[in-house]
Amino acid sequence: MGRYIIKRLIEGVITLWLITLAVFFILRLGGGNPIEYMLPPEATRADIEKLTQAYGFDKPLLQQYWIFNQKLLRGNLGDALAWDKRPTVQVVWDRVPATLQLASAALLFAAIVGVSIGALAAARPDSLFDRAGRVMAITGQSMPVFWVGLLLILLFSVYLGWLPSAGGVDRLGPKGLIMPALSLGFFLMASYMRIVRSTMLDVLESDYIKMVRAKGLPTRLVLWKHAFKNAAIPVFTLFFVNFAALVSGAVVTETIFAWPGIGRLLVDSLIQRDYPTTQTVIFFAASFIVFINIVVDIMYAWLDPRIRVA
Amino acid sequence: MAFRGSDGALALPQPAALTAGLALLVQKLREVFRGAPTFSLCFLAIAVLCAIFAPLIAPFGPVATNPTNILQAPSVFSKHVLGTDNQGRDILSRLIYGAQTSVKIGVVAVLLAATVGTLIALVSGVFRGWVDRLLMRITDMFLALPYLMVALTAVALLGPSIPNVILVIGLLRWMGFARVLRSEVLKLVEMDFVRLALAAGSSRSRIMLKHVFPNIINTLLVLATLEVGLAVIVEASLSFLGLGVPRPTPSWGSMLRDSQQYIYIAWWFPLIPGIAITLLVMSANLTGDWLRDRFDPTRRQL
Repeated sequence: MGRYIIKRLIEGVITLWLITLAVFFILRLGGGNPIEYMLPPEATRADIEKLTQAYGFDKPLLQQYWIFNQKLLRGNLGDALAWDKRPTVQVVWDRVPATLQLASAALLFAAIVGVSIGALAAARPDSLFDRAGRVMAITGQSMPVFWVGLLLILLFSVYLGWLPSAGGVDRLGPKGLIMPALSLGFFLMASYMRIVRSTMLDVLESDYIKMVRAKGLPTRLVLWKHAFKNAAIPVFTLFFVNFAALVSGAVVTETIFAWPGIGRLLVDSLIQRDYPTTQTVIFFAASFIVFINIVVDIMYAWLDPRIRVA
Repeated sequence: MAFRGSDGALALPQPAALTAGLALLVQKLREVFRGAPTFSLCFLAIAVLCAIFAPLIAPFGPVATNPTNILQAPSVFSKHVLGTDNQGRDILSRLIYGAQTSVKIGVVAVLLAATVGTLIALVSGVFRGWVDRLLMRITDMFLALPYLMVALTAVALLGPSIPNVILVIGLLRWMGFARVLRSEVLKLVEMDFVRLALAAGSSRSRIMLKHVFPNIINTLLVLATLEVGLAVIVEASLSFLGLGVPRPTPSWGSMLRDSQQYIYIAWWFPLIPGIAITLLVMSANLTGDWLRDRFDPTRRQL
């Protein structure tokens, strides 16, 4: 087990290093000197040169990458160009809690609603409830996150007038979380429904369930006590696997609902051409995904010893 | 069906033969489309037809503005059946032209992603060893990237345009192909016919192309169909955030972007393009599910 954890950690570090390579080169995609398109058009030649030197864009590419790595090891990813000119790591770090808050609310909603509908649908396959659930799952997986957001605004803000269409928890309290979390969680909910339903159906077919049924246990107990426990494993995986999708969804959701998280920070930094901040946001998000993946793999190896050997 | 008679002249087929042939054709088609999601296939066909023949079908031009007729509600009695947008442009026409953008990006980006992914899978699975390890590490790296963030950044830096959106989606979504196909390739190279080919002195490139590739086409097709929906959503998301297809090119995503400000006064404006996106993505997904079940009934889910 110890050896497996070390192996996985080393792999994770390599992946992270490859990501820094990608993040480094992404800024140079536009070609030429990034400073030129970071500054407003009215910037003077002297300004451009000063900043070019400060950021080291005048040095050869390989040397730039070397310096980038050295700074990275010291936790320095440059200073933000827009807003307050603080180090980007701090700027991004300040926005992380808002995104985590939104993501966990969305996950919670998706897991609770998706799992219960999926399990109930599996209990009575081909019933009206099951059919309705299936249509909902398939539709839910096809709806873009931002459109779900717009539909929620249409329903809750325009038609019912219950909630304002923008504003975070600071202004609205927990109510402010409802629409962003619903829109971000909707897609996940649909995938939970599908996976829970299909694994529950498999489990319900198994011999040990037939056995408990034969013992005369009430359906409710069979379903929740025996079947659900075994169907929970794939749900658990999905909980983590969807993190990349969640981070991507957060970009859109945060933009619609003016949520002060890292997704909105990314979009703002692109609009303001504050590329050091862009770089840091991507690096943070990617590191987070790598970290989650390692945790999942290790937990799996712990749950299922066969994985450690493979 | 035309046959040459014994005298060499062109003879029309006998009516009986014709009906028999037709019956056979219908039977064959039934066989091919058994269990097919009719609605999804029809909607995909409509979307593709709209994309190809947009100028012929659309009642108005996609960018024809009409300041006297803005934000008109949909009505069957009006010239603008699906209403107009904030610049008085006909929503139906923009929807039809928008299909062009979605279909083009969906198809070409997925082709690109499929090509990259298949090549990596073949090379990885056939060469193995350090080549495989390196390629899989790179695949893992791409999988760990928050793809929408990277796509946004890349398009912003390369400049928003349809080719750039295609390039970015294609180069960020190949990992699924690489991962799944590689495991298929690994199974195939262990099989006797590939070993025999190796023993007979076939080169590795020949083995990849002639022996392994034909056997992964089914899976490739399923993955590609399922990926089309995602490509459409990514394009729409980029355009929605204002960093995808530049204005005034009609795209369903940018229509939704425009609609955001008018959501309180024009309910149809945010509703209609979203329905189009959802139907297209759903059709692609359901068709992919159907193809998967056709090729491999054991993987049926739901």
